[in-house]
Amino acid sequence: MMIRVRDLVMRLPSGGRFVTILDGVSLAVTAGEVVAVTGPSGSGKSTLLGLIAGLDTPSAGSITVDGVEVTGLGETELARFRRRTIGFVFQSYHLIPTLTAAENVAVPLELAGTPEPLTAARRRLAEVGLAERGHHYPAQLSGGEQQRVAIARAVALAPPLLLADEPTGNLDSATGTQIIDLLLALNRERGSTLLLVTHDVALAGRAGRAIALRDGRVVNGHHA
Amino acid sequence: MRPGVALRLAWRQARGGRRSLGAVFACVALGVGALVAVGTLGAGLEATLGREAKALLGGDLELRAARPLPPEAETAVDRFRREGARVVGVRELVGMARGEGAGGSVLVELKAPEAGYPLYGRLATTPAAPLASLLEGDGAVVQQELLDRLGVAPGDRIRLGEVTLTVRGVVEAEPDRTASLVSLGPRVFLAPDALTRSGLVTFGSRVRHRVLIGLPPGVAAGETRAALARALVDPGVRVATYDEAQPGLRRFFVQLTTYLGLVGLASLLVGGIGVAASVSAFVARQVPAIAALKALGAETPTLVAVFVIQTQAVALAASLVGAALGVAVQPLLAAALAGLVPFALEPQVQPATLARAVAMGLTVTLLCTWAPLAAVRAVPPWLILRRDVDPDARAAGGWLPLVPVGLGIAALVLWQAGSLKTAGIFLGASLAALLGLLALARGLVLVARRLPRARGLAWRHGLAALQRPGGHASRVVVALGVAVMLLVTIALLQSVLGRQIDHEQQRGAPSFFFLDVQPDQREPFARLVERAAGAPPALTPVVRARLAALGGERLTREMIDRRRARGEEGWWYFTREYVLTWAEELPAGNVLVRGRWWTAAEAAAGARVSVEEVAARHLGLDVGSRATFDVQGVPIEAEVTSIRRVDWQSLTTNFFVIFSPGALAGAPATWVATARVPAAAEPALQNAVVAAFPNVTAIPVRDVLERVGVVLGEIAVAVRLVALFTLGTGLVVLAGALAATRSQRLYESVVLRTLGATRGVVARGFAVEYGLLGAAAGLGGGALATALAWIVVRWVLDAPWSFDPAPLVLGVAVTIGLALMVGFLVTFRLLGQKPLPVLRRE
Repeated sequence: MMIRVRDLVMRLPSGGRFVTILDGVSLAVTAGEVVAVTGPSGSGKSTLLGLIAGLDTPSAGSITVDGVEVTGLGETELARFRRRTIGFVFQSYHLIPTLTAAENVAVPLELAGTPEPLTAARRRLAEVGLAERGHHYPAQLSGGEQQRVAIARAVALAPPLLLADEPTGNLDSATGTQIIDLLLALNRERGSTLLLVTHDVALAGRAGRAIALRDGRVVNGHHA
Repeated sequence: MRPGVALRLAWRQARGGRRSLGAVFACVALGVGALVAVGTLGAGLEATLGREAKALLGGDLELRAARPLPPEAETAVDRFRREGARVVGVRELVGMARGEGAGGSVLVELKAPEAGYPLYGRLATTPAAPLASLLEGDGAVVQQELLDRLGVAPGDRIRLGEVTLTVRGVVEAEPDRTASLVSLGPRVFLAPDALTRSGLVTFGSRVRHRVLIGLPPGVAAGETRAALARALVDPGVRVATYDEAQPGLRRFFVQLTTYLGLVGLASLLVGGIGVAASVSAFVARQVPAIAALKALGAETPTLVAVFVIQTQAVALAASLVGAALGVAVQPLLAAALAGLVPFALEPQVQPATLARAVAMGLTVTLLCTWAPLAAVRAVPPWLILRRDVDPDARAAGGWLPLVPVGLGIAALVLWQAGSLKTAGIFLGASLAALLGLLALARGLVLVARRLPRARGLAWRHGLAALQRPGGHASRVVVALGVAVMLLVTIALLQSVLGRQIDHEQQRGAPSFFFLDVQPDQREPFARLVERAAGAPPALTPVVRARLAALGGERLTREMIDRRRARGEEGWWYFTREYVLTWAEELPAGNVLVRGRWWTAAEAAAGARVSVEEVAARHLGLDVGSRATFDVQGVPIEAEVTSIRRVDWQSLTTNFFVIFSPGALAGAPATWVATARVPAAAEPALQNAVVAAFPNVTAIPVRDVLERVGVVLGEIAVAVRLVALFTLGTGLVVLAGALAATRSQRLYESVVLRTLGATRGVVARGFAVEYGLLGAAAGLGGGALATALAWIVVRWVLDAPWSFDPAPLVLGVAVTIGLALMVGFLVTFRLLGQKPLPVLRRE
């Protein structure tokens, strides 16, 4: 089992009181699956993804990824866990503006101590079709290009789990389709697990399974 | 524009800018604090000098001469006495005090006042008793230092020349002991008849004859001075009134407070960098709000007024707090200078000083918010529709808007400096420093960009962070660099001067100058010194004289007064007491610049003189001129045959005027001698000479240099104290710059951690960035400090330059340390943030 989430609760302070973002979510994803998490905005999709990546601590519940209890990890172990296990693609790319495209891709490689990280990063960029843009800064790239860089960065260390949070949300539909094709292709090649958040019905349809969230609860968990 | 709306908006908008406006507050408060501390000190000095003027002079009027007063002066003084004036004669000179028996000896400053002293002020003694009664029957009142150094106590006896005196008391405070900042030794009061019997007052000895006059009520000092000046043609008798007392001391304090004030202004201007940056960041954050307000129909002038009101309100509050800070710090500054000031310094918190500093704080804030506020104008209202458009297109106008800012700052500097020349030098130096540091910061960013991207992630991130948009590197390097420059310059100057006055460093410098060796003592004195030191002393004959005429025209008081009235600096050369010598050969260390040295035949043919370059310029003498000297009433005229350059820094006997041999034959000569012995043998030699020749004064060079060192040290502490304000402001600018880039930093650190970086990796990246900023500021400031110190040493102090790397290394190291410390204080909380909430916000 790649991901096992049990009774996950997340409450956040908002305007002086607590708002429940996730309200007892449980789910399981097996290795190699492509799963879409869908739901209207505010349903808790992105929070779920972030918690699976260990980017915040849940109020209650447990998350196991690749056999590791994420909620029990300390700061340094979490960093190592993310580096080894997870690739993350965001809606707004989250590239580091002061680094070039190749340098952005090289960051996880460097953190893992890969030799010749920049050479490896350029290879990854070539795989996403950006062989020529490695020396450009994020501000010099289009939205689609930036997202490709982010994807190259996410898969740079070939993590077993790829998390994508609305990867096409900031892109026009043609570019969005290209990005999804790329994500699915990379996932297939590597045999990794892909969990993607989207409210795009067409995109969700390309996943093997969809999990729908509403008001912080799973409203269906059926296999497509 | 509607003022009410602007005010209300100003109040509401300010809530969003606590962090930016906080930095404005700190920058202005520190700058104003420095100005108030210095201003209050200056006002205190001025007021005290004014209030104590009569005590400082010793009377309403003072006559002062290097010789007993001429008969016409005595006549005039007698007339005043008959008219009800109080008159006290005082003689002062240096001499040697010994303990009884085989004790040591100490160079002392003797003072023998007649009854009635002091006319003004209070002479504080322990026990408290009238001075005359303490001095009666060969009593002496001395400074504690003498007792400590001779190892004697009140009641014990000391020897001065030929007399033995009993120490009856200790002098705690003396109102008119302010002749020079550095005293040669502790004070000894003795009765006039005891001084006469001591045998120390002989021909050739340097006695300062003073007559202090306390005028009866209703008689104006100025008119009396004018009357005296008419009666006393001889310009060798100086006549001063209390309101022109201690011009040297007053000038020194005025200059000192001017320089301290400029250092204070530097900290306010550095603060201005922080103000500009913080207001800029504040405005940038408010851009959406400004666009929205414009879209809702707010007029641009109203919006500009909003920001002016906000910043001026903050600056006013900061200036008031800064003024309080300055008043609080002033006692520290006064304490640092306590050794230089002969009286208790009362802090003078004058409204004018405070108002001036507050006005400067407000003006600097207004000037430095000028450019950022132009951005408010440029915000287009359509921005409300398209938030993704980079609002950086707002940069308006280029250099032109900065012209009034530059002019405003120049006006402020002129106001603080009080003279065009000083203001010009300050502005030039500031501009050079600013451009130098800006170039360095730009260079650092360029190098960071060009450098082959290599090595660890921390280095890459640190270097990349230096190029962050907004140019925080430039202002941090400039602000911190200026502070480093000020502090390192002081340290370098101190080191240069320290070496200059370090006896051990002076190759061939004598251990002693011996004064007043009488003709008949010459040979036994030389023998004694040779026995003790292993080498004979260098003996030079000296004849004391005054300049009497130039080119046949007699020097008169009227002529001198004319020159003084014209503000000529060199009038001192006309009235001073000259120490003449004669020589067959040009002395070592002297260089002829014009004319040539006399041959034996020329010397035999008539009196010739060689004059020192600077003195010759002030006196208007050149080769071929004729000068007449008055030697004990005998005029000796000589032709100037050469002009010399003298290295006054060399610790040997140097002379303004050297006569050809034979010209001074028959004149009453004494001899000065120099001798060099190992440091350990110095006390023994001094004691032996003083025991054998009680009239000979031994000036221990090491001791005098150390006294000079103490004075310089006190000045350095005061300057450093004010410069610390600049450092504080520089650190606020650093903190402000880091706070302004806080959201970018937080974002990047969170993205890095999402990719699996530990906090340690992120922290190391920060460390590289802060460390590099500190290093650049340290190196740049250090380089500027070296240049500035070199210029000061070379052109102002006219001293040999020697480079001491220690202050520079220390400056760089401390700056790096401070940058790291402040950097982490501002940003360490970023490291603990959970990534998800931050990413969600973006």
